[in-house]
Amino acid sequence: MPLLEINNLVTAFHTPAGRVPAVDGVSLSIERGKTLGLVGESGCGKSVTAMSMLRLVAAPGVIEAGEILLRDAAGGVLDLVTLPEPQLREVRGGRIGMIFQEPMTSLNPVFTIGDQIAEAVLLHRDVSRAEARGRALEMLELVRMADPKRRLDEYPHQLSGGMRQRVVIAMALACEPDLIIADEPTTALDVTIQAQILDLLADLRQRLGTAILLITHDLGVVAETCDDVAVMYAGRIVEQAPAHELFGNPRHPYTIGLLAARPERRGPDAHGAGSGFRRAGPLRTIPGMVPAPQHFPTGCRFHPRCAFARMPECSGVMPALNELEPGHFVRCSYADALGPSRRMDGAAEELA
Amino acid sequence: MTQPLVDVVGLETHFPVRKGLLRREVGDVRAVDGVSFSIERGRTLGLVGESGCGKTTVGRSILRLVEPTKGNVRFDGRDVLATGGAELRGLRRRMQIVFQDPYGSLNPRMKVRSILEEGLIIHRLGGADERLERMTRALARTGLTAAALDRYPHEFSGGQRQRIAIARAIVIEPDFLVLDEPISALDVSIQAQVVNLLVELREQLGLTYLFISHDLSVVEYVSDDVAVMYLGRIVERAPAARLYAEPLHPYALALFSAVPSVEPGRRRRRIVLTGDVPSPARPPSGCRFHPRCPLAEQVCREVEPPATVIDGHVVHCHVAARELQQAGGDAAVAAARMAALMAPTAASAPPAAV
Repeated sequence: MPLLEINNLVTAFHTPAGRVPAVDGVSLSIERGKTLGLVGESGCGKSVTAMSMLRLVAAPGVIEAGEILLRDAAGGVLDLVTLPEPQLREVRGGRIGMIFQEPMTSLNPVFTIGDQIAEAVLLHRDVSRAEARGRALEMLELVRMADPKRRLDEYPHQLSGGMRQRVVIAMALACEPDLIIADEPTTALDVTIQAQILDLLADLRQRLGTAILLITHDLGVVAETCDDVAVMYAGRIVEQAPAHELFGNPRHPYTIGLLAARPERRGPDAHGAGSGFRRAGPLRTIPGMVPAPQHFPTGCRFHPRCAFARMPECSGVMPALNELEPGHFVRCSYADALGPSRRMDGAAEELA
Repeated sequence: MTQPLVDVVGLETHFPVRKGLLRREVGDVRAVDGVSFSIERGRTLGLVGESGCGKTTVGRSILRLVEPTKGNVRFDGRDVLATGGAELRGLRRRMQIVFQDPYGSLNPRMKVRSILEEGLIIHRLGGADERLERMTRALARTGLTAAALDRYPHEFSGGQRQRIAIARAIVIEPDFLVLDEPISALDVSIQAQVVNLLVELREQLGLTYLFISHDLSVVEYVSDDVAVMYLGRIVERAPAARLYAEPLHPYALALFSAVPSVEPGRRRRRIVLTGDVPSPARPPSGCRFHPRCPLAEQVCREVEPPATVIDGHVVHCHVAARELQQAGGDAAVAAARMAALMAPTAASAPPAAV
């Protein structure tokens, strides 16, 4: 049984301009100890999905439908959508930890690092202040903070971006959650610091068995850290598969286009034995732009930008999320017709 | 030998750090601290590095949007730092910049017409009719129509705004563009569109680019030559193909290995550096990279590494210099050695203490 299961989640914002369905029927599941990557461009609804999971969507946002089931080891199930607020507070930061993009927004500038981590512990565990502080020190050691004793008494502004993100991770882990939601955890960081944080997350997952929902726009980060990937476009999941399958054999035209639009480095591998260099013509692009939720197209929401779109079928009915191969789900009526193990390059040729 | 269009020698830009009631100067941040490079006409130099390394300040110093502290910048043979008044204005017509954030760089109260026309008026390029024609042409080149002229920036998407920013830069027909992270704020599916546009404009208009970015793949795709910056200095510079195939500087090696790749077969071992980038207000002694460098030796802590040059491939590293010498100047052999020296630290990655 999956640790967490989202079924047909709908989260909409009721603005003066009308109802804006940012998340429109999303279903996901995360297994215990696994990492699920949720990728998409800005406005696709990936962050709103994450916020909905903890009911942190601010007004005028409302979870309109769906269920979010969290299972414990004993087989008990909680539906986070209907769970009363006091119990939900136990879940937030207790069984589900959170890491956000900009560490400064999750840290309070007027409290020391030690106080902030200890607070997270005190909220969820019946321990004394001294014990909580000991736990904070333990957590800083766990996230490999240099000189953790000294850091306990420092303030967030005294730390670098990478160190702050380590503190946020320490806070998220302090109560040994089953799941961590990491929303663009490395986007604000430099690549060499990003490498440190990704390494840390992978290591912690292995040692603690924590499941991770990693939300990002960076396909490279997902490819290197996730077991499974879900691609979101305009409020819906358009493709979901194990990571190696998704990157080796992408089937949705949007995924294919995204992968083809990146100039892939032809530089050295770890051994420096680089060979070819290419600058082969213009990059492949996806025409047009990401639609705003007020203006989601009818039918398949990707059809106005899709090179394979067939009219009027694609603009008529929203395609279902079909399982093309075991574990590989694609929301495209013609994914089968586009061919099974089509290589990225071939499909991209046609896209161009 | 043709003279390069842009020639930068020993550029230094320091910002004073003031403290206390009297705002006394207590030190300076050496954002750019001795940078030299040149760009031939029609070519593109990519400038990569992490935040705070000074790459943006280099771009702005060349245009004198910030005043350099020291050094020499020549544009088409003329000394940019020594000119002023009308002459500087004349030079600036030929040098333009596109900023990262198309939301912050376009005045929200101005219509696109005023945004584009401003430069034409300042530089007294044509009467009203000719200005309109130039603006229409610039917009067309960036894939927009004249209908955009009477709209405000907020009516456009991020990608379209960046097109407007590019149109503003090319409308006065410059020779040289500083592109400061021009695609970093855009969505992945839009980035490729803007990259293609920039490459197309370079071919059509014979532009010369300084392309500043932290995105290594895009820089490789766009650039003829690439320079890697670390803490205010260029640590390695070479033709793009050479640099990406045979990086010699340990920082360049680590930087390249840290970029996540989507190609399953290309998943490399990351070289995970320890520590953070030090503050440019207190740069380390000797080689500035030594506190994070797994290959650092005594000499690295004490002596600033000089440039070692092999066929246009420039590297500032004591260890790389020695390897190059032992390899008899064969950069490929030396690069392989450097990679092998760095590799064990990746395999037995010690805890990345920050």
